[in-house]
Amino acid sequence: MTGTTVDLLDRVPRRRLSPEKIAAGLTLLALVLTSVVSLVGIDISIPQMIASWSNAQNFFERVGLISFPEPGELLHLTGLTVGLVLCGTLFAACISVPLAFLAAANTTPGRGWMVGGRFIGVLCRAVPDVVLAMVFVLMFSLGSLPGILAIGIHSIGMISKMFADAIEQIDEGPRLAIRAAGGSKLQEFAAGVLPQVLPSWVATVLHRNDINLRGSVILGYVGVVGLGLEMSYAFKSLNYSLGLGIALVIFALCVIMEIVSSAVRTMMLGTGPTGRGLDDRPLRRLSITGRRRTLATRAAPRQADARSRDLRRPWNAARRRTTAWGWAAALVVVGSVIISDIHWGDFATVWAYLPETAAKFWPPSFGSYDAPTMFSAMGETIAIALAATILTIIASIVIGSLAARNVAPNPRVRSGMRLFLVTIRGIPEIILAIVLIVVTGLGTQAGTIALAIGGVGLLGKLLADSLEEVKPGPEQALTAAGATRLQVYAGATAPQGMKALIGHSFYMLDTNIRAATILGLVGGGGVGYFLLNAGQGSRYDLVATIVLMILAAVLVIEGLAVWMRRVFR
Amino acid sequence: MPGLTEPFRSLTGSALEVQPVIDVRGVTKTFGETTALNNVSLTVARGEIVVLLGLSGSGKSTLLRHLDGLDRPDSGTVTVLGAAVSRLTGRPLRALRGQVGFVFQQFELVGSLTVLENVLTGALFQVRGPRLGLWGYRRALKLAALGLLDRVGLLTQAYQRADTLSGGQQQRVGISRALMQNPCILLADEPVASLDPESSDQVMALIREIALDQGLTVVCSLHQVDLALSWGDRIVGLRHGEVVLDTPAAGLSKAEVMEIYGRVATTTAEPGTIANELKTSAAVGVPVEETARSDLVDATWEPRR
Repeated sequence: MTGTTVDLLDRVPRRRLSPEKIAAGLTLLALVLTSVVSLVGIDISIPQMIASWSNAQNFFERVGLISFPEPGELLHLTGLTVGLVLCGTLFAACISVPLAFLAAANTTPGRGWMVGGRFIGVLCRAVPDVVLAMVFVLMFSLGSLPGILAIGIHSIGMISKMFADAIEQIDEGPRLAIRAAGGSKLQEFAAGVLPQVLPSWVATVLHRNDINLRGSVILGYVGVVGLGLEMSYAFKSLNYSLGLGIALVIFALCVIMEIVSSAVRTMMLGTGPTGRGLDDRPLRRLSITGRRRTLATRAAPRQADARSRDLRRPWNAARRRTTAWGWAAALVVVGSVIISDIHWGDFATVWAYLPETAAKFWPPSFGSYDAPTMFSAMGETIAIALAATILTIIASIVIGSLAARNVAPNPRVRSGMRLFLVTIRGIPEIILAIVLIVVTGLGTQAGTIALAIGGVGLLGKLLADSLEEVKPGPEQALTAAGATRLQVYAGATAPQGMKALIGHSFYMLDTNIRAATILGLVGGGGVGYFLLNAGQGSRYDLVATIVLMILAAVLVIEGLAVWMRRVFR
Repeated sequence: MPGLTEPFRSLTGSALEVQPVIDVRGVTKTFGETTALNNVSLTVARGEIVVLLGLSGSGKSTLLRHLDGLDRPDSGTVTVLGAAVSRLTGRPLRALRGQVGFVFQQFELVGSLTVLENVLTGALFQVRGPRLGLWGYRRALKLAALGLLDRVGLLTQAYQRADTLSGGQQQRVGISRALMQNPCILLADEPVASLDPESSDQVMALIREIALDQGLTVVCSLHQVDLALSWGDRIVGLRHGEVVLDTPAAGLSKAEVMEIYGRVATTTAEPGTIANELKTSAAVGVPVEETARSDLVDATWEPRR
């Protein structure tokens, strides 16, 4: 027996890891270690938190009863906020279609176009919408246009990327068939690509709209009209009861929007709101609904065919419903344009300001600060982002796994976790941060916790969706071999979801760097504080420097993410 | 048999040698409006090599899944190795599953893990708690896994990612994983349906060789009649969830076996029959096999008995 064992071991090839894989693994390890060090450095100590609770008591005594703006005023502000967010998202969606066409590997006219398209996306994503809003408030008269453009341009980054990813994942068969039948490029796109990507595109736009609504709060801090502006006035004038009241309204609005967009997704796509998400996977949903639809409609036309040879699609319940929803959506769009009260004239006059504005930002400089101060501030922002991300990842692995249908011990646990995630997602991080900072009086710690909690809402959902989409076969194979639930999870579910976890985590880090900057605006520490000061003090050369630093950080992370995804396929 | 876990060692002792290892009685199973199994009874003796034949949707997979407790019958009983599978839950069910190896049509390996890691997951019942990758498996189990890989001729690929292998190789990994359980029974659900003819022959030969070698009881569903006749000891034909043929393979002619598919052959020429259904479906781009599988064709066109 030992003879054969030795013989066996002699013949087994050594396990070889490629140098690249080792390098990527070490980088990942270094990132995790840095995150842990940052976390320790930020010193989130529970005793301190408890000690600061007396602040909270003082605070709530001072606040007294929460108050709201006048009902009419409140309605107008709410309409304005929702309207400009919708306009911004739609603007981004419109620009993203051609951009995605150029940026997707399978539709791009050439490699140069593809790289260019992807780069524009990265650029849009890297510049925080707050910075864009600052610039546009400068260029346009006050009103909704700066907000719309800031939201719109920043959103192009994410929307165009997801659109392009969706195009890259289509089934090439239909396109090939159209080309083989002599179709033009445009016909190929309209008949072969568009029907396949549309559901995932709709999901993307709705998802982004939710994010934008939450993000619109902070735009108020740099002068964009709506609920955010009123809230910032209230907090600045120490009218905490009104500030918290508006915060509550925004929270309610976010939850309602999340529910509405889930409902719209369900209506349009025919699947439940759970089980899919951001990432590149919404396409799988497409194949599922597509198949279900054909199955459902196949039987009916066969009988109908015999009776009539009508060339028009019959007005059955499904079509009436779709049409009604289509009109409703169109009305919402028109309504949001009207309520946003866009000053179209600004588009004509803005060009005159452009050179002047651009000159203010160039050349970038450190202003009255020295370079080490700014770099350490940027370092602090990155540290907050890393610490928040690692906290988020740990919590999301547990909560996200339990929220996945194929992992949760029973459906009740799953729905409980899903509800929990939706609720957290509804809270705009910034409001959480403001409240935490105001309540506890601690800057960096409160900011980190706010980011971490907000992150769980997103990462937990993304992870749950990815886990639900792993191949069920291997899980079943392990079940068939007598493995326990936990063994199936570790042996089949987790390894299949690993790639998604890495991808989502980098996405989280990327989001958190920008969010950590923005937190600085409300006193969360880091480079955001300097950004706000520079903006308010009209030191645009310093703003440019800070934006370039953020851009550099985001690009590095983007690069790392691409590399990791390639190595850990 | 080495490696058997306590609860079943007694069951596989001499007292049960005479009893069938698989005893299915009057099992009916419906999914929605589709009847997958209709009053199926089947007994399999120790060491038998049984082939299930039938069209897609005839109930082969459902029957196999019942034998491993992956599906539960609406009525009837399934007894495997003396245990009433349909009533087992929790650890006793897992203990039974540990005795029954399952080989899948689509291999169902975790593509991102190595071949060795995939094989080791077959031993999960023999260890406590979850395992990540290679961590935490006893040396003896690792050696056993390597031995099995050697047996199926994949030792040199032990540390390759499973999804870099060809279909035939992946299925051999799937077989190794099932054998890693030290099973008494091996179930195989169309193990070669996704493979080219040459790999098919290799994989089927391997299964038979190992089965005879270790005295395994095998129930395997197949598509290819020729292969089934030359490979199995006994042929069981299923149609619309009912057993329509159960006979030793020796001396059976292909024509006799084709009776299982008989209805298709005799009605192709008539208008409004399955042939036309298939044509129309194919014309609108629905894969033929899917149509054949849909209950619409099965239910409306064939007169019910």
